[in-house]
Amino acid sequence: MGKIVGGFLVPHDPVMFVAPEAPAEDIRKRMWGAFDSCAERLAALNASSVVIIGADHYFNFGTGCLPQYIIGTGDVDGPLDVLPGLKRQIIPASEKLAGFIADHGHANGFDWAVARAFTVDHAVAIPDRLIVDPVRARGQSIGTIPVYIAAGVDPFIKMKRAIELGGAIKAAVEAMPDDERVVVIGSGGISHWVGTPEMGKVNEAFDQEIMDYACTGNLTAIQGLSDDYILENGGNGGMEIRQWAVAMGAMPGARGEIIDYAPVREWVTGLGFVQLFA
Amino acid sequence: MSRNVLEKLMHQLCVDRSVKQRFKEDPAGLLARYALSDEERTMVTDFDVAGMQKHGVNPMLTLGFWTENAPNRHPAAYMKALRGAAAAEGQVFSAGLKQ
Repeated sequence: MGKIVGGFLVPHDPVMFVAPEAPAEDIRKRMWGAFDSCAERLAALNASSVVIIGADHYFNFGTGCLPQYIIGTGDVDGPLDVLPGLKRQIIPASEKLAGFIADHGHANGFDWAVARAFTVDHAVAIPDRLIVDPVRARGQSIGTIPVYIAAGVDPFIKMKRAIELGGAIKAAVEAMPDDERVVVIGSGGISHWVGTPEMGKVNEAFDQEIMDYACTGNLTAIQGLSDDYILENGGNGGMEIRQWAVAMGAMPGARGEIIDYAPVREWVTGLGFVQLFA
Repeated sequence: MSRNVLEKLMHQLCVDRSVKQRFKEDPAGLLARYALSDEERTMVTDFDVAGMQKHGVNPMLTLGFWTENAPNRHPAAYMKALRGAAAAEGQVFSAGLKQ
């Protein structure tokens, strides 16, 4: 039987790669170091698979097809949007479990769209490269399952549904006959404004509010946030707290611990790192 | 809705190299293939990202469109186009994938 053994809530900020020297040195060290800390903690969990939940940035999907949620059930590579220091590569997958999650969802009210060969963008590639790859390099075999939800392009997935989707992942993992040890990674946020006149603004109060909900496992509070409130206080990029909600929904009742946080205007984002404990 | 057609074009101008090349070489010919009003075509050729956002176009697309296609791709130029002259004040930070 499978089990979710832990979770992380992390940013996937491409500007860290595009303009790595922009913030002060101590901030740079702390933020890159926070990814290293996540990798250390992931290694300790002895995971066999990670489910990384990202959001499309109107990059993977165009106006012809905008899925509410999609799972990569086959080969995975990325990123689609190659960045300095983040070249495209094959990402070890976890096809059996990914297919099982899709099948289990289809039988239980979750009509997953599936990607049989998925070139993910930076939303999945950054946490995979910075958190999972270092653990693979130590000899642990970990397959990545990419999940994308509609948080960057409307119609946005409802927050309630995002939480339920996390529950569907949990239910599938626990129904899996194999002894999978699964870690969920909610990739996104926290406050940031992408391409809007406010770009470069960071709202520390909003970021702290969301991290507080994450650390206390307060699904009720996060579900109660209206889109208008999130857009006003967290920006269009703040809608990505939906990825956090999916991960939290996969670990109901879990408490969290802040690994690090900094509002980094140079990287246009409030960068928050939280570990969720099963 | 023309917002949808604008977003289709913006998406292609972000990710499709051949569409980007056609836009550079023959913008009128490219735009004739899309069901856009004259006003909307002008928005595109003028890189009127503020107008497009008011039209409902996703800001991630206007940023990508600018970053991939504008004559002056510097983030400060994008912010000036978006905010007007006020953008000239203070530092500019960008989420663009190319800077």
